[in-house]
Amino acid sequence: MQGSRPLVRVVRLGLVSYQEGLRLQQVYVDRHRSGPAHSLLLCEHPPVYTTGIRHQPYPASRLDPLRLLGAEVHRANRGGLITFHGPGQLVCYPVLDLSGFRKVCRAVCTAACAGSVTRVLSPPPQSVRWYVAQLEKTVVSACGSLGVTATTSPHTGVWVGDNKICAMGIHCGRYVTSHGLALNCNTDLSWFSHIVPCGIEGKGVTSLSRELRRDVSVHEATPHLLAAFGEHFHCELSEDA
Amino acid sequence: MAMRATLRCLSANFSPRLPLLSSAGRDNRAARLRWVSGTRRTFSSCSVLSTALKFTEKHEWVQVEGGIGTVGISSYAQDALGDVVYCGLPEVGQRLEQMDEFGALESVKAASELYSPLTGEVTAINTQLAENPGLVNKDCYAEGWLIKMTIEKPEEVDALMDQAAYDKFIKSLEE
Repeated sequence: MQGSRPLVRVVRLGLVSYQEGLRLQQVYVDRHRSGPAHSLLLCEHPPVYTTGIRHQPYPASRLDPLRLLGAEVHRANRGGLITFHGPGQLVCYPVLDLSGFRKVCRAVCTAACAGSVTRVLSPPPQSVRWYVAQLEKTVVSACGSLGVTATTSPHTGVWVGDNKICAMGIHCGRYVTSHGLALNCNTDLSWFSHIVPCGIEGKGVTSLSRELRRDVSVHEATPHLLAAFGEHFHCELSEDA
Repeated sequence: MAMRATLRCLSANFSPRLPLLSSAGRDNRAARLRWVSGTRRTFSSCSVLSTALKFTEKHEWVQVEGGIGTVGISSYAQDALGDVVYCGLPEVGQRLEQMDEFGALESVKAASELYSPLTGEVTAINTQLAENPGLVNKDCYAEGWLIKMTIEKPEEVDALMDQAAYDKFIKSLEE
């Protein structure tokens, strides 16, 4: 029985191919057809480069060399430009029906915006703009609880200085979200040297391990991300036994 | 997660000159609603041929003129998206059923689907959006239009919300 807070089911997929991740996201997206079915899919992928709906900057001639590195390459229907997913990176795909978070959005915005002027400028309830902002805050909080001071910037994603620690790219259809975020825990960052991550020149990438100068695994980072998600989305997380 | 509509980069598929919202050769212009983002001002020619905007629950608008519907997104929708950086639109000639997903707008690293308000065939897409996707935010009811399409089922237009109903709908979302 659901109280006033949305219920989000945590689904731990483990190491799955990107293709399998897409297939499973679609399964969870489809579940929303018969009522609220918010889910949070957690996984890691074998090395893969992915592009978003803006695929013109990435013709086959530019993507094929990446395959020679031993990675897969996929086009996805998410926002954002090219990025890399691989072992040591916590990939999180929230499959939420944003209309079920309308009240959450209002509560969050009201709490955050003390004055009425700022209230007017808040993102509308159930908007992707609000959703992406909450995802960013979630990651910033998770990093903070691990001892890393991360920030947001005009470029969507989460940064430590000029280095991106977490990439984001989402899809939203009929208020149901898919794709999500990728937090570098102990990822081999050299994979990023073959691309301009997210198309942003002059910026680098980093990871929790690099920032804390010790090994931080996906296993260690996951509870911090989940706690932060529950806090910023004012939701209850449940896990299958 | 395959989209049913095929997205094509705007610059690749059509002639650079596309018909503007036209009066189909008539001298008197149909009423033209001009919106400024954040405020609402209406200029009307008082023509009996005026066609007001109709709205969907997905926050798209349609304006019918000369049997062609021009489609865009509402001010509420562009505000919900944030700054649009890319418009993925269908190809001219593509046939759409009402509620078919016909493209996507990208903003804040989010690709948000667009849904056809009507059943018909795409006759034009707004080529200006390739170089200037921000028009969707700046001028969502005029220069930021997305596609034009034929109208196979006029009754679908009748069933859409008028301005007053849409304003009420938005209010209900914010309560």
